[in-house]
Amino acid sequence: MRSMADRRKLHLTPWTAALIAILVMLAVLFLMPTIGVLLSSIKTTRDIALGDLWSIPGQLFLGNYAEVLSNPAVHRYFVNTLIVTVPATTASIGLGVLAGYVFAKLPFRGAGILFLAIVAGMFFPPQVILVPLFRLFNGIGLIDTLWPIFLVHTALGIPICTLLMRNFFATVPNALREAAILEGASEWQVLTRVAIPLGLPALAVLATLQFTWIWNDFLWPLIFTQSDEKRTIMIGIVNLKGQYTVAWGVQGALSLIASLPTLVIFLFFQRYFIKGMTMGAVKG
Amino acid sequence: MERENRFWRVVLLFLPLSVFAVFVVWPLFSSFWYSFTDWNGFDPNYAFVGLDNYARIWTDRLFFGAIINTALWMAAAILLPTLLGLALALLLDRQLRGARIFKTIFYLPICLSAIVVGQIWTWIYQPDWGLLNAIISFVAGEPFTHAWLARPGSALWSVIVAWSWQQTGLSMVIYLAGLTAIPSDLLEVCDIEGASPWQRIRRVVVPLLIPSTIVVIALSVINSLKGFDILYIMTGGGPFHSSDTLAMHMYNESFKKYLMGYGSAISVVLFLIALVIIGFYFRQLKRIDEIYG
Repeated sequence: MRSMADRRKLHLTPWTAALIAILVMLAVLFLMPTIGVLLSSIKTTRDIALGDLWSIPGQLFLGNYAEVLSNPAVHRYFVNTLIVTVPATTASIGLGVLAGYVFAKLPFRGAGILFLAIVAGMFFPPQVILVPLFRLFNGIGLIDTLWPIFLVHTALGIPICTLLMRNFFATVPNALREAAILEGASEWQVLTRVAIPLGLPALAVLATLQFTWIWNDFLWPLIFTQSDEKRTIMIGIVNLKGQYTVAWGVQGALSLIASLPTLVIFLFFQRYFIKGMTMGAVKG
Repeated sequence: MERENRFWRVVLLFLPLSVFAVFVVWPLFSSFWYSFTDWNGFDPNYAFVGLDNYARIWTDRLFFGAIINTALWMAAAILLPTLLGLALALLLDRQLRGARIFKTIFYLPICLSAIVVGQIWTWIYQPDWGLLNAIISFVAGEPFTHAWLARPGSALWSVIVAWSWQQTGLSMVIYLAGLTAIPSDLLEVCDIEGASPWQRIRRVVVPLLIPSTIVVIALSVINSLKGFDILYIMTGGGPFHSSDTLAMHMYNESFKKYLMGYGSAISVVLFLIALVIIGFYFRQLKRIDEIYG
């Protein structure tokens, strides 16, 4: 499928020039907020307070980064976020692979309804399950640990992972599975030796999506953790804001550092990321 | 063979379904149960209070404020990211040097967290040195120091603009995917018949993008129901609850006032609204599938 782009080449006419001008203006508008944070992070708070946030600085001030990177609380926030994000990403994808495989290759009566019910889960506001989960984890003494965040993210990742994996496995020819089974392979071997190796692109899509969402999450750590020892990085940004209300430079530096992992993933795996976004949205 | 299949179905589905049931389905139904109680968040005991919490909703002025704000949020979500995303997709859907860079710039905000986005925009709206006031001062030629986020009249809209900035990229990506599905002969016919670019877009391209539009609008509306993180950091629902959404109100009642029973009742209302929208969305998706395969 070729895109429309390939068919309609543009020649440099006034119309094209105007178009490019509009695009450049919009792009500048869109980049402005991000550039603002970048600028704030390399300026002293005094400069910013004097109204000089939006100009290009004469010299690079790295004090904000030094302050953020030498803060042991920030190290803790990072470690906590990683401890939650990596296992929850892996676990939700693993569970999605299992369920997606069954829905694609071993259909049964009522599978359609069950699948729809699971997929619907990704559209509900998380607030609708907040109170019972808080009571559950409070009851078993897991509040103020990282466990509830890991468990809830694993569960909430199941809808999108099941959806994408089912759609992917549906494209794997049935003949492949039947041939393997005739050769004496078990269903488990078909899944792990045939389906999963073929499904690597879909796994990459899910890994980028899930990592970004869980890393960026704010609500669940806010509800389930209380002490500063257990907070994740997004809560850390808010806490820091409360700690010194006017240290804009430091806040800017922390915001950038906290966005770095997802930014890097996004820039390198953009294709996968966008594929996941559109597939998750359209293929309900 | 069939017996083996049944065995594997059970084995493979057991773990995903139990995790989903315990941490998603069961809490969903428990929310209904707790909405009939007066649980306060830490006491292990609670009393059954019947429909008291729902009666309370009717007299809660803040609840209605939150409903109206959520509706405003939805309306803006339908207009801003959809129109802007469509415009960007139409502009970028051609062979243009650097189109990829533009696309990356426009959807970069998607990978930022709502907290970071909120932080960034708080500075744009900052009264003394924020970018917005600086620009207005420059254009007007006199100092302008409106506190955008601290005034009841502008707080909600300021957050909505920040949120739209983040969402536009998603709409654009979905529209771009929709544009690639338009058959090329159709556009060639337009050129042969001498249609102007504007006619081509209005009469051919936009009508063919209706399926994408449904997806974009439904996602925007669903995401707007979830509006919480960005509000939390930018206004906290204030000033004077003027930017509260349902999600924010539910959080405040449950985890600030510890009225978990009442908070559950609000979350049940939130659930029912979401259910209607999701039901509509799924029906439309099915119809799109039937038409376009």
